Amino acid sequence: MAEARKRRPRVCDYYQNEDQFARGVALCAGCALELNLRFVSRVLGKDVILVGTPSCSAPVLHGQNTKAWHRHPYYACVMTGVASSATGLTRYYEKAGIEATVVCHTGDGCAMDVGFQTLSGAAERNEKMIYITYDNEGYMNTGIQQSSGTPYGAATTTTPLGQASRGKSTAAKNMPMIVAMHDVPYVATATLSHLEDYAKKLVKAKAAAKEGFAYIHVFCPCVPGWRIPSDASIQVCRVAVRTNYFPLWEKEQGVWRITYKVRDPQPLSELTRLVGKLRHLDEDEVARLQAQVDYRYRVLEALCAAFG
Amino acid sequence: MAVSLDRQRKVITGNAAAAYAAMLCRPDVVAAYPITPQSEVVEQLAKFHADGWLDCEYVTVEGENSAQNVVCAATMAGGRAFTATSSYGLVYMYDAMFNTAGYRAPVVMVNVNREPPGIHAVCAGQQDMISVRDTGWVQLVVENCQEILDTVIMAFRLAEDFEIQLPVMVNYDGYYLSFLAESVDIPGIAEVDRYLEVLKSQPRRPRLLPGQAVGCGSHGIGTGYVELRKKHMAAMERVKSKLEEIEEEFAAMFGRKYGGQIEEYRTDDAEILLVTSGSAVGTARTVIDAKRAEGINVGLVKLRLFRPFPRERLSEVLRGRKAIGVLDRSICFGWDCGPLYMEIRALTPEVGIVPMLSFIDGLANMDITKEHIGQMIDAIVSAAQKKSYRQVTWLP
Repeated sequence: MAEARKRRPRVCDYYQNEDQFARGVALCAGCALELNLRFVSRVLGKDVILVGTPSCSAPVLHGQNTKAWHRHPYYACVMTGVASSATGLTRYYEKAGIEATVVCHTGDGCAMDVGFQTLSGAAERNEKMIYITYDNEGYMNTGIQQSSGTPYGAATTTTPLGQASRGKSTAAKNMPMIVAMHDVPYVATATLSHLEDYAKKLVKAKAAAKEGFAYIHVFCPCVPGWRIPSDASIQVCRVAVRTNYFPLWEKEQGVWRITYKVRDPQPLSELTRLVGKLRHLDEDEVARLQAQVDYRYRVLEALCAAFG
Repeated sequence: MAVSLDRQRKVITGNAAAAYAAMLCRPDVVAAYPITPQSEVVEQLAKFHADGWLDCEYVTVEGENSAQNVVCAATMAGGRAFTATSSYGLVYMYDAMFNTAGYRAPVVMVNVNREPPGIHAVCAGQQDMISVRDTGWVQLVVENCQEILDTVIMAFRLAEDFEIQLPVMVNYDGYYLSFLAESVDIPGIAEVDRYLEVLKSQPRRPRLLPGQAVGCGSHGIGTGYVELRKKHMAAMERVKSKLEEIEEEFAAMFGRKYGGQIEEYRTDDAEILLVTSGSAVGTARTVIDAKRAEGINVGLVKLRLFRPFPRERLSEVLRGRKAIGVLDRSICFGWDCGPLYMEIRALTPEVGIVPMLSFIDGLANMDITKEHIGQMIDAIVSAAQKKSYRQVTWLP
């Protein structure tokens, strides 16, 4: 009766097309962003129009002079203008009766800092697009500076350790929650250790973007920026989920749901000892970060309980 | 306001004239953020849209930076797009303006001139437009409500012309023109369609569409960058003759013309000249007439095209005069004079060494009065008589 048993879909079942990216792209060894780009492209399909900015992904996505490392239609713009540029494209396509899926693909610096206003504006207007934030918790392309996605305690080049400093003194913005509060059709978190979960969310986002704004916040470690071994990116993603540091959830048409429930969450020290930028944290500091993580998780659970 | 798309004559404000012109050109996408003294343009277009006269996507953006990015992307996808701003809004879209120009995106934008941030003057002044002169946009400056309407229509022809492909900004003085109501001849939409029709027969630029392996905004490195910059520069130079060409066609269809890059007023036998732009030109004409009646051979040059700078035509008209005065409604830090004056002084090799006087007037809504312009002309006359003169004069 093996054939009658319902097989759970695997990642490759979601793929729409061959990899649209060239081999040997200009990203670091073990870069989670590269996997993210190729994955988004394969699940959403080669026809989607990508919109991006100067960032780590820019050398690959923008291309150079007349050549690029991929086959997607692509619109590069200023960091302040991703969601607004995507609006210009989608509104024109709407007017001209052209069917298209426009996907913004930016880092946390653009989404959460300098491009935050325009993202919030597009969400409020419920513009028909998918916005994917690959959150590597800082400005990695410019040399590992802190952003509002950088967690408490992290050492970056603008929150360095020193006699008078123990790293970043404030918490990261809870960005996916902020976008969820715009009451857009679809918001989700995802990461690269849980690809089936991510793929399902991309499919949902693509459908939701026909009606309005869809947002996916992707936890995306950076090998040199976080000082982790080049073979550890996926392991870090997995531990971030298992410690509830980065819970996987979605809000679909007002219904909140944790999509990957962790039975016995590991202590946060499992993550901080793996990640170089957090390894200096002492017991009290880890406890403080743990308290932030626990608080945010309880807020999420409460929302899921109330509106699940 | 009762709206009609047939030819009509109405008493409307400068802002309404800009909105009417934009509507008549059938933009696919309009995105704009309100700011004094431009707000009426945004409101008027929203009303046209709400009433079904204007069939476009109207994007109520959350700031001017987004407005600029929306219209830039819309034109790169193949649409016609319009936005309007002023002062703080203009400088808030500064990075995006470089982007629009660099993409050669044929956006048309109205900028209602107002003093920029710092000393918070909610007042007229051309400093905003001067501050963006190196972004690579075509910049026109107009004098009255009719010229606002006509120039916005011409701006779409100019921006989208296949030989140009550049964003065009139409500037007019806030307060003096934005809220001034004048009788304006509004063309019918069918006539405007006919005027813009030639664009459809031109080769079509590449568009960003789904399913194509095309990119927009590649890294230009080394020679790739230089090539695009040189092409942009060459397109800028072509604007000068193209503007005069499309204005001839406009004149043939609508019966109005403005001289193309510059308009000369009583310059033929003039020994001295005053150069200025914007709403001050009307006052200056009256004073020139009065001074002529007194026997002073003075002429007026109205600058319509600020970027590209009409070097050739200005050199021609300025050459052989005894003295030249330039009236600016803005200042040029670091040169201690007016910006137009500074640029006109750079024509000295072509014009010859004659006294050149800079007049700074009309900052922050101060009226450029007939008396002020009379004083300017007296000063130019005196300098022409080889008497000592002040190079820069702030009025009053």
